[in-house]
Order: sequence, then structure tokens, then C-alpha cells
Amino acid sequence: MLKVNDINVFYGRIQALRDVSFEVPDNKTVSLVGANGAGKSTLMMTLAGVLKSKTGSIEINGEALAKDANHVLGQGMALVPERRRLYANLTVYENLLMGAHLRKDKDGIRSDIKKMEEMFPILGERKKQYAGTLSGGEQQMLAIARGLMGRPKILLMDEPSLGLAPIVIQQVFDIIGELKKQGMTILLAEQNAFKALEISDYAFVLETGKITLQGTGKELLQDERVQQAYLGVKAK
Amino acid sequence: MELSLLFQTLITGLAIGGIYSLMAVGYSLVFSILNFSNFAYGGVIMLASFAGYYAMTLLGANVFVALIISMAAMAVVSLATERVAYSPLRKRNAPPMFFMISAMGLSIFIENLVYATIGAHFYAYPIIFEETTINIFGAALGKMDLFAIVFSIIAIAIMNYFINKTRTGIAIRAASYDSTVATLNGVNLSVVIGLVFVIAGAFAGISGMFLGIKYMAYPNMGWITNKAYIAAVIGGLGSLPGAIYGGVILGIVEAFVSVYITSTYRDVFSFAILIIILLIRPAGLFGKYLEEKV
Ligand SMILES: Nc1ncnc2c1ncn2[C@@H]1O[C@H](COP(=O)(O)OP(=O)(O)OP(=O)(O)O)[C@@H](O)[C@H]1O
Ligand SMILES: [Mg+2]
Repeated sequence: MLKVNDINVFYGRIQALRDVSFEVPDNKTVSLVGANGAGKSTLMMTLAGVLKSKTGSIEINGEALAKDANHVLGQGMALVPERRRLYANLTVYENLLMGAHLRKDKDGIRSDIKKMEEMFPILGERKKQYAGTLSGGEQQMLAIARGLMGRPKILLMDEPSLGLAPIVIQQVFDIIGELKKQGMTILLAEQNAFKALEISDYAFVLETGKITLQGTGKELLQDERVQQAYLGVKAK
Repeated sequence: MELSLLFQTLITGLAIGGIYSLMAVGYSLVFSILNFSNFAYGGVIMLASFAGYYAMTLLGANVFVALIISMAAMAVVSLATERVAYSPLRKRNAPPMFFMISAMGLSIFIENLVYATIGAHFYAYPIIFEETTINIFGAALGKMDLFAIVFSIIAIAIMNYFINKTRTGIAIRAASYDSTVATLNGVNLSVVIGLVFVIAGAFAGISGMFLGIKYMAYPNMGWITNKAYIAAVIGGLGSLPGAIYGGVILGIVEAFVSVYITSTYRDVFSFAILIIILLIRPAGLFGKYLEEKV
């Protein structure tokens, strides 16, 4: 369970998040919908420990978020960052290993890499290839797989469908659906509101750093304001 | 053109090339993880030449033991330079320019510290091999050159294995590419950067001592890191194979120019190669990731 309580995040004097509070219960998928510049990535980076909130608290399973970003994965939470941010200079295999950097169980790592190759067959064929030479869709799969290699209980995903062709976007959401079925706790930031809301148990709308609407995925899909602003439905 | 002279020149070139490679690797490792030119590296290399000298003269160590002492001492010195001069800047997210200025200050400090304590003299190493050359196929090869080649190759091979095959090595390469994401993966940047300075220091320990044996130990020998910089740029800044091959190429070219043209023009040729390579391949011979690192 991820609990965010009243956080305010600034870039210098610019405030990017205002009094943001929400929860992601265990085994649920929660999405965060918002336009460009709404503050989704800022929130993700704050949860990952890279940015700091001036106020409030963030708790992972009752434990305060670690001060240093390199300890957050150890608390059971992994981020699949926006624009994938793979290590282009490392091979697919090495990128996966980096996801498991904190783990010492060699056999477990090996079997998890096998699992990833089953889940994302394209990765198995390209183990020795440099990540920088993969296609956008393949890179996104690898970014998700790298995140999973840390065996997180909570997975944060920042716009996994960004810049992908419709057919690949569908694959990404199929994967998210599969993870959800396996009981993963997921926080998903998306501009692709329709697909995100469809798959989510609960969702928030973020506008200029503030949560302005919330409800179950279904509720928000039917909300007129959401339809107009994020689903491209014209006002009647 | 005599074949034996050709062979002799090649060995001389390989020896100095190996030294350049070691320096270029140490320099490149730091550049790729902190994105600035570590001008203080020359100071550490100079200290190494004195560490080796004193290990042999005061402690009476043989050349092999002296190398180990020099490596260990410079690993510590190099780590200390990071903790004192760079780590505080890193914690404040200072831009690369600040690191460079800090490095220059440190370099001046180290050099003047030696002027003030040891003095401005040249110190020649004791005789290492009674017989300085060995005859192979009619060519008189310097024993010290052969020793330097073998030792450099071993050091580079170990480093190469470490960086490419071990998980810590992979983490160093990952952090060089994207330190924020490496942090998300659980990498402790402070440890990784410290380790990079330890490796760079150990390499300075080797190259500095070999340079001292070849050209004597003296306080402003740090200028020679210009060569490491040229080698690293020829190979592609930040690329390890680039630094290694860049160093070897530079060493061999210099040796051939010295022997077959004249040693006066040696440095002219070094810079000429640098300019030609930058014109043909701006990213250097091995700098293929440069464009991808946005
Ligand atoms: N490093 C930064 N320095 C200053 N302002 C920033 C910085 N990063 C983001 N911002 C500002 O913070 C606000 C939120 O940005 P953020 O990247 O979190 O939005 P987002 O919802 O992720 O947008 P997108 O959908 O385009 O990724 C924007 O107004 C942005 O200009
Ligand atoms: Mg974003």
C-alpha cells in the first residue's frame, strides 16, 4: 500500500505539485491522468525519492519513504521512468541485470530473466543487443522488464505508451493487465486516458499540480469533464 | 629500412602507448561518470612517479613491489581528491564547469605541494635491469619497455574484465550513462564514483611510475596528461576501448615519428592526428554512444 499525504513539490520557486494526497491500495491499479505539464512525472520522481516534497509524507506499507533514492527499490517500489531511459550503452541482458542490482540471489535472478523472456519474447532474441538499438516498442518492454527484475510489490509507470504505435500500445496495456492479474500494485501515469481508465480500479485527474477529480475508472470514463478534456469527446 | 629497427621502434611505441592507454583510461573513467575533465589527474600521476621513486630508494623495494605500493598509494590519493574536491560539488548538483575549476585548483595545489616539500629537482630511478636490452631477432629491445608492455596489458585486461563482466562494473557503466536511473536501480552513486577514482588512481600509480622510470620524477611532469587527453579524444571520450586503442595508436605514431622523422616534430604529429580524427570522426574512433547520450 502506497500512501501519499499532502505533498508539495517545487522546482526552485515554481510549484509543480500542490497538496497532493492519495492512496494506492494493495493489488489495485490506480491511474493518474493529466495533460502535458500537469505534474505526473514530478509526482513519479518524488515517489521514487529523486525529488523531495517540502511538506507531508509518503509511506510504503506503513514505512516512511527512504531519504535516499537508491533505497526506495529496497522498500519494494520500482519506477519505470518516462521515455524509458534505458542504458543505451548496455545490452538487453545487462539492462535486466541492472534492474536486479540489489538482489544477491543468483538463481532467482536467472529464473526471473527467463520469466521476462517468456513475458517479452522479443527480449530473449535480443539479449546481446545494445538497448540503444532496440525499437521504441522493444525499449518500452525492456524498461518494464527491468523494473520487474527488482521484484517490486508496487510498480510505478510513467507514460508507458508514450510515442508508441497503437498496436504496441495495446501490447503494453495487455502487459499491465497481466501484471494486475498477478496481483501487482500499480500506479500508472498516462495521457492515454481512455486505456488507462479502462484498466484502472481507481483514478485521479491531475491539473497544474492539483488533484481535481477522482473516482473509479468507470466513473471517470463517464464524467463529462473528463470526456471533454481527455477523451476527445465534444461538448453537447 | 631495417627490420630490426622497425621492430625496436614498435616495442618502444607499444610501451609508451601502454602508458598513455592507462592514463587515458583513468581519465576517461572519471570523465564518463562525472562529465568533466579531471585536470588534477596529472598531479596524481606525478605523485605516483615520486611514490615509486621513494618506494625503491627509501624502502629498497624492487620494481614490482614499488609498483604495487605506488598503485595502492595513488588509489588512496585519488579517492581523497574525489571526497575533498568533487564530492561536495556533486552533492550540490554543481555544473561541470565548477568541477573543472576545482580540479585546476587541486592540480596547482598538488604541484606546489611537491615544489615546497621535495623541491624542483629531477629524480632518476635506481637501475632496474643491469643489462638494459635483450636481443630478439637482431633487435635490441628495452627490458623496461617489455616489462611496461606486459604490466600494462595485464592491468588493462583485469580492468576490462571488471568493467565488462562483473555486476559492479556493469553498474559503473550504467551510472556513467544515466546516474539518476542507476540510483533508481539501487546503485549507491557515492560508492560507484569512489570506486572509479580508486581504479583511476591505481592506473595513475602504474603510468606515473613507468613515466618516472623513463623520464625521471619531477614536479611538473603532469603536463604529460595532455597526451592522455589526446589519446582519449582520438578513441572517443568516455569510451574505454577508445581510450585503450587511442593510447596505443598515439604511442606507436610518436615512436615512429621520433625514429624515422625527428623527435622535435613528435608532438606536432600527435596534435595533427587529433585534428584529423576530429575532422573525419568528431566522436572519435569508438565514440558511438556519444550521440545517443542526450
Ligand atoms: N527540472 C525542472 N525545472 C523546472 N520546472 C520543471 C522541471 N521539470 C518539470 N518542471 C515543470 O513542472 C511542471 C510539471 O512537469 P511534469 O514533467 O511533472 O509534467 P507531466 O505531467 O509529467 O507532463 P508530460 O505529460 O508532458 O510528461 C511543468 O510545468 C514543468 O514545466
Ligand atoms: Mg511526464
